[in-house]
Amino acid sequence: MLLIKIVGGINLKKSFMFIIGFMLICSLFLSGCSDEGEKSSGSEISIGVILPISGNNATDGQDMLNAMKMAVDKVNADGGVLGKKLILKVADDACDPQTATTAANKLVSQEVTAVVGGYCSGATLPASGVFENAKIPIIVAAANSSELPAQGYENLFLINGLVPDQAQTGADYFNEKGAKKIAIIHDNSAYAKDMADFAKKAVEANGGEVIAFEAINPEEKDFGSLMTKLKSLNPDGTYFTGYYAAAGLMVKQFKEKSVPGLFMVGDGSYSPDVIKIAGTEYASDLLVTATPTANFIPGAEDFVKDYKSKYDTDPGPFSALSYNSVNLLVDALSRANSTDKDALRKALKETKGFKGIGQEIEFNDTNSLNSSNFHVMKVVDGDFTLEK
Amino acid sequence: MKKFMKNKKQSLSLLIIVMLVLPFVLNIYWLDVLTFVLFYVVLAQGLNIVVGYTGLLDLGYAAFFAVGAYTTAILMTTFHWSFWLTLPVAFLFAVVAGVIVGAPTLRLRSDYLAIVTLGFGEIVRILAINLEITGSASGIYGIPRPTIGSYVLSTQKDFYYLILVVAILSIIIVYRLGNSRIGRAWVYIREDEDAAEAMGINRIRLKLLSYASGAVIGSFAGSVFAVKMTAIAPLSFSFQQSVMILLAVVLGGLGSIRGVVVGAALVIVLPEILRGVDDWRHLIFGVSLIVMMVFRPQGIWPAKHEADDEDDLEEDESKDKKQSVPV
Repeated sequence: MLLIKIVGGINLKKSFMFIIGFMLICSLFLSGCSDEGEKSSGSEISIGVILPISGNNATDGQDMLNAMKMAVDKVNADGGVLGKKLILKVADDACDPQTATTAANKLVSQEVTAVVGGYCSGATLPASGVFENAKIPIIVAAANSSELPAQGYENLFLINGLVPDQAQTGADYFNEKGAKKIAIIHDNSAYAKDMADFAKKAVEANGGEVIAFEAINPEEKDFGSLMTKLKSLNPDGTYFTGYYAAAGLMVKQFKEKSVPGLFMVGDGSYSPDVIKIAGTEYASDLLVTATPTANFIPGAEDFVKDYKSKYDTDPGPFSALSYNSVNLLVDALSRANSTDKDALRKALKETKGFKGIGQEIEFNDTNSLNSSNFHVMKVVDGDFTLEK
Repeated sequence: MKKFMKNKKQSLSLLIIVMLVLPFVLNIYWLDVLTFVLFYVVLAQGLNIVVGYTGLLDLGYAAFFAVGAYTTAILMTTFHWSFWLTLPVAFLFAVVAGVIVGAPTLRLRSDYLAIVTLGFGEIVRILAINLEITGSASGIYGIPRPTIGSYVLSTQKDFYYLILVVAILSIIIVYRLGNSRIGRAWVYIREDEDAAEAMGINRIRLKLLSYASGAVIGSFAGSVFAVKMTAIAPLSFSFQQSVMILLAVVLGGLGSIRGVVVGAALVIVLPEILRGVDDWRHLIFGVSLIVMMVFRPQGIWPAKHEADDEDDLEEDESKDKKQSVPV
């Protein structure tokens, strides 16, 4: 920005430039200063949060943030951890790789002790590299592309089940229901494509046949031609691995065109919005492979009640996982008995049988979960129910 | 006026010194933002040749950015080339891509041209999503760091300096091109294509050259982007990206090197400054762009046609005073 001021100085006629330049310089310094002020003081532990707060996936991002705030409030109300209060530093990754690296760098510059979050795999992949370089442990609550652990980063921990597990759960369900001819649709995002590939393998390993493997553009509103094509193929089951905005419309058009067979979506579409978009009538019998929300988890009643009373809405699909991620971090901090990053990473790695909502966390060699936590959910009367 | 010229040189060298010192002053976040500003400076300068000088509206410029990034990424991961060796190959591919988009559009003007370039941008992005070699939708990750001798470029500062060098290089190249015979021919084509041809300007060759030069600069930025990010995905080369680069050019002032630099800085820094206001961020950004275009349609710092050639600045300045009629 100094550029404007200096180069601007050579041409006095352009006083306009001065105003713009001056304003920008001021704002730059102001924001620079506020950064300084935000750095954690001695009595606080700052935790970075990297989530999509804007853009297409903001709904899920907000749900996750709510759950994290709840966990932090609870910990702070109980006296904090290591005698210090927790504070969250939120950075928006907008599910975009470039924005995500900038957001990650912002958190690094704010000297956060650790990071939680990560929703879109495509954005989490480059962001995790920034944290790895800065040696800041990150607990990824939702993103679960198999390429995340494949990077071999020692500071990256994943507490959501991985994509191959989910694809297997879906394929097994189809197999149980005797569905052999399966159509697989993805939206060309890193995550959906990854899962579609694994689903194809899993279906074929179960002795099924993949009769269609299609990509859609998630920005589109009309999937009519695809549905007509599917109808002519007469599938026993259709599996869409993309996100909820497209899934809702697709479910509706699937039913409108009366395509035969089961319709299943992945956990990217596990959101009440999918039912809202499709309409209650069309969404009935929709199957979802996902880690169940708190509503279906025994022992999570308190969490659901607190969440509802605080935010006046049901917890989202990743709320429980986000809640767990903060609590896991707190647990590791107290076991490490310091905010030192190496000690914290070691403590996270050594996590044994940590009991979160609906899952017991233990890490394998690649810092991902030891066991799969996926289930099949079914929409009945406009609400998700646990099917298997 | 001599003094004026001297001042200009002084301010330029002062600016460069400031840019060199900045990494030691800024924190890692603002350094990252500044690095992206420089990326946009390079990209916008490349697009400036096509849109600003030659007047060919290009809505798919991110495609050339992608060509550079993917060429470097594939050669470095699959074939284990050195970063520096991938650059000439990336340039070559960019020239080919530039000619591919340039050749069929030679007969087209304005809107039609924009649609073809838009299509080209989408084709490249969709190819990247679907090809195995480009890592399909998840892209390529684990791109190695470049080395100079035994020194490995790995920190924020290293990449800042790398892209700073690229930015200065591209500004010099675009400046020199703009003031050369080629540059004047481009401007002539922009102003009146038929008259230019009647005056003996080889329209076809010069238009292709314009696309190719723009493409090479875009791919240069792409190559550096790949090693800086260590992971690239088709998401980074969306239509949105093309629009943002074009925005930097239009906002700054078509054909104006200084303006485009300012435009690139604005396009990147403004959304970052607005991070503090969360939900309002995109609204404020959008509104400020509209306000800017309404009150200053020629760009923040438009090109002064008479003063394009800095050596003639003295004359032009005096001329300006006498006949201050709007052009």
